[in-house]
Amino acid sequence: MTMQRIKPHLPWITLLVLTAMVGVVDPNFLRPANLLSLAGDIVPLFIMALGLTFAIYIGGIDLSVQSMANMITVIASIYLASLGAWVAVLCIAAGFGLGMVSGFLTTRLCVPSFISTLAVGGVCFSIAQWLSGNRALNMDAEQRNAVFGWMIGHTGIVPNELFLAAALLALCLFIERRTILGRVLKAVGAGEPAAKASGIDVGRYKMLAFAISGALAAIAGLLFSVKLSGGAPTIANGFLLPAIVAVLVGGTPLTGGVGGVLNTLIGTLIVAVIRASMLYLGVEATQQQMLFGLVLIGAIALTIDRSKLRTVK
Amino acid sequence: MYQLSSVDKKFPGVHALKSIDFHIKRGEIVGLVGENGAGKSTLMKVIYGAYQPDGGQILIDGKPVHFANPRQAMKRGIGMVFQEQSLIPNLTVMENIFLGYEAQFTRLGVVNWKAMAAAAKKQLAKVKLEIDPATVTSALSFAQRQLVELAKVLTLEERIEGDLVILLDEPTSVLSEEEVKLLFKLVRELTSRASFIFVSHRMDEVMALSDRIYVMKDGQVMDVVAKADADASAIQHKMVGRHVDREYYREQRQKPYDASRTLFEMRDIVLPGRPHKLDLALHPGEVLCLVGTEGSGREAILRTIYGMLAPVSGRFEMKGQELRNFNPRRSVAMGVGYVPRERKVEGIVSGMNVYENITLSQLGRYSRAGVIDVAREKALARDWIRKLSIKAHSEFADCGNLSGGNQQKVVLSKWRSGGSDIMLLDHPTRGLDIGAKEDVYDMIRDMSDDGVGIVLVADTLEEAIGLSHTIVVLKDGAIRQRFDCRPGAKPSLYDLLHHMI
Amino acid sequence: MKMKLTRENVIRWAPALVLLGLVVLFTAINPAFLSQRNLARIALAATPPMMVALGVTFIIVMGSIDLSMEGAVSLCAVLFCLLFLKLGGSLGAGAWLAIPAILLCGAFFGWLTGMVHVRLQIPSFMASLAMGFVGTGAAVLVTGGDIVRIDDDVFRALLTWRILGFPLMVHIAVLLVLLAWFIQNHTTLGRNFYAVGGGEELAHASGVNVRRVRLAGFALAGVFYAIAAIFQVARLGQAESVTGANLMFIAITSVVVGGVALWGGIGGVLNAVVGVLIVNVIGNGMVVIGLPNYLQDGLLGVLVIVAVVLSTDRRLVSFAK
Repeated sequence: MTMQRIKPHLPWITLLVLTAMVGVVDPNFLRPANLLSLAGDIVPLFIMALGLTFAIYIGGIDLSVQSMANMITVIASIYLASLGAWVAVLCIAAGFGLGMVSGFLTTRLCVPSFISTLAVGGVCFSIAQWLSGNRALNMDAEQRNAVFGWMIGHTGIVPNELFLAAALLALCLFIERRTILGRVLKAVGAGEPAAKASGIDVGRYKMLAFAISGALAAIAGLLFSVKLSGGAPTIANGFLLPAIVAVLVGGTPLTGGVGGVLNTLIGTLIVAVIRASMLYLGVEATQQQMLFGLVLIGAIALTIDRSKLRTVK
Repeated sequence: MYQLSSVDKKFPGVHALKSIDFHIKRGEIVGLVGENGAGKSTLMKVIYGAYQPDGGQILIDGKPVHFANPRQAMKRGIGMVFQEQSLIPNLTVMENIFLGYEAQFTRLGVVNWKAMAAAAKKQLAKVKLEIDPATVTSALSFAQRQLVELAKVLTLEERIEGDLVILLDEPTSVLSEEEVKLLFKLVRELTSRASFIFVSHRMDEVMALSDRIYVMKDGQVMDVVAKADADASAIQHKMVGRHVDREYYREQRQKPYDASRTLFEMRDIVLPGRPHKLDLALHPGEVLCLVGTEGSGREAILRTIYGMLAPVSGRFEMKGQELRNFNPRRSVAMGVGYVPRERKVEGIVSGMNVYENITLSQLGRYSRAGVIDVAREKALARDWIRKLSIKAHSEFADCGNLSGGNQQKVVLSKWRSGGSDIMLLDHPTRGLDIGAKEDVYDMIRDMSDDGVGIVLVADTLEEAIGLSHTIVVLKDGAIRQRFDCRPGAKPSLYDLLHHMI
Repeated sequence: MKMKLTRENVIRWAPALVLLGLVVLFTAINPAFLSQRNLARIALAATPPMMVALGVTFIIVMGSIDLSMEGAVSLCAVLFCLLFLKLGGSLGAGAWLAIPAILLCGAFFGWLTGMVHVRLQIPSFMASLAMGFVGTGAAVLVTGGDIVRIDDDVFRALLTWRILGFPLMVHIAVLLVLLAWFIQNHTTLGRNFYAVGGGEELAHASGVNVRRVRLAGFALAGVFYAIAAIFQVARLGQAESVTGANLMFIAITSVVVGGVALWGGIGGVLNAVVGVLIVNVIGNGMVVIGLPNYLQDGLLGVLVIVAVVLSTDRRLVSFAK
């Protein structure tokens, strides 16, 4: 019972403990400027994890987010020249649309989400390769600064990415807490049959969840390509694992229904602190993936609601 | 030779078996009858080892035994032929027969298919089934599968020294009359090798096949009737004979309904997979009760009204409007509310609080442009918590933590607060204690007073009789009889049973 | 009933017909497609994914899924190379011991994935995905991100020695397909995969030790991943932490397109073979007819969806997550 009561608070306790631990090893870590720049670096990952939260919140998964971001870096790099600021609209629309496709496949055609999103990810990868001719692309630096410079500058010591992240978090939080969509998604995650029996067209809302996941992955890709001033079909590889870890460590379990976007904020910060701590504690970066893999297993094992799984397949 | 002596089984809140004494002799066929919830299935689970009794003893040939799981019971010669198909459809017949016991045909993990086929052939011969043992099970008819199940259980014969007890759970429910006859003939022949415990809803079949009949009610054995003394109506009396109190069902509050108006009307409705035409109508203030055994078609009718099932043909009018497409969203919009049997799965969303649950079916009404007005939701929830005296610490209480009765009240407030005037209640009192049941009965009368039409599938026959204005008896998907249930002129249990089985 | 029969038949024969159709199509466009050289090229490219597909087929038949193959293959490949070099660097000089060692290693890795799935009760897709990350991570850790090369003529004979125009490893792969088919159809373990996939609870009630079957399935899959790793090394002459990259998508796609139902219990080794051939024929054929081969992933993505949709009986699935 006590475990049940502690569980919701584990994520932020973990975050505090980890931060304190690194702070003890190297007090410089806790300098505001350092923390802020750390936070600024993690924003693309955070935005991706934010979107992924919606897919996981309803008990699904979106494995296409990484390929989606890859594809968007290519699209952004190519069309920035011709479309200017409108390229952002194109990117988000592409992400939203492809996410909708995943959602359609999952809800209307009963393809499990890990397969449907894997397949959509394959489609994204192909598009990225096709558009880019399988090469790395560069943005025109001047035009990038003119159109998207506001995304990556600093205001005082605060990286501008953080404002973008805060705005998106606020929007997602609003969707989650205050809209019909958020309410229905919660009901789907917590008890889909009951939501259906209440006369709700559950499928429509589930599709939207995948679409939001796609759209936010697209924004993450856009920001990433702006930061790097270019794009390539594999440039964002390595995002998927930390994004899933961020959502699950934050306390949104694979079975959905509890947690939410605020949890993902904490989860992403945990990921950031773990990364930083590896640096400070002298652990080689090559061990990062293995570590995150193990953290992922631990996080799932701790958070998953086994009463919702009749048989574990 | 097999005996239960004062066996007890308790679950949280339910005393499922109360000091059961039961015995079966070598080569005997024993029938087991009782209403739903009388404890038949619990008793069977104790017999074949799926449940362990909390008190009393299981004796085989006078010696106490203990089974931790069905496999151990099998080792002592007790086998079960399941009502729901327990054969794995994508495996061949022989694999199913020897599933879990392949070791006898394998060497170093490699299966000798010839040996297994020969052995399977032998088993199939016992049930007089002439099929290739390598047939994939999904290609068989229901009757054939039933026989394969029996053949599977009969492999105990070779494995076990000593006597066999075989449980048959509703073995006839999917069989035609001819097939039933064949099965019975077979069972009689097999009594030279095994004893049988036969469970069925169909009284005539139980009486035809069994040597003795155990009648169960409320977790107790009411009587044991020998074949010679068996009398259908007497047995039915014992099955249902319960003290019926008119107060209990709030009969004094039953008022005539408004027959001049109609909430919905079904004319010549044919449901998928059923040949019969159904005619049904519901009026404001009426409690219409659908009565029948499990599988008689009660659920299908509820699901049709709720829009989850589309009829094949016929005319379905709701509030003067003919319905063409069927989906729950449309039904809810037209004022249909559904209180499902699986309260915890389909009724409430556990993990969401009271106000979130109450407005789940009517989010559009508490929002503007997709943005929810939480303050109004909370006010609504507080209102209904008070109206129905829902025991929850506040509107923020997680519905998963409420008691069953209070969960049911939340489900009812969900629909009532949305103004639903066609309520479908599927076993609304299942699993509730007496006080909570009475609350539900009161709420049903309240709804009637408010002009709500109610379609009820009740937990027991008394409940159906006590609560309803009209009873419709269903059997095998067809409407057999209608009863008008004015207070004072209600049909008796036996009137209903007569048409049900 | 009749409807159902045709449906089943469509599902059973569709993969083979698709394969045939593709071959005819590509040959019609460019007859060189059917040349012996090109067929050998297809067979060679198909060999490592074939091994991975065989492994994952057993898992999918059980109704689970394994997404750990990229990590497993990378790790096995890297370990194999390192061990091979340590044992003398030549197959004749004792380095052959690396082969059985790495098979055991694969089995252990698979077993570990199975343990995470079964013991911690984590759905297999996530358990194996995480273990895949761990495997890749371990491969990075072992190599420090470097490439390990093997230059042993005897070992490379797997690639260079051609019989009937096909490299030796293709012939070995055919034998392994037969072995997998034998395991599937003639051993208790193989049949228990089907029992678990067809009805887990029923199998359990009949006394099948479902947990043990699952663990054995993942371990067996691990062995096949290790074989894939060895072939991959033989083909490339080197191993690194990305040796297994892209195998997950190709293998899963192949198995599903070949007609193995994700719900478990239906299809098997032969379907996987057809599926792998379809995927590789598409990849090769696109090049042969002059299309950029990077359209392949997208096309496969679409195919996999079509296959799953075709094989899903939506009356039986109330909702998918």
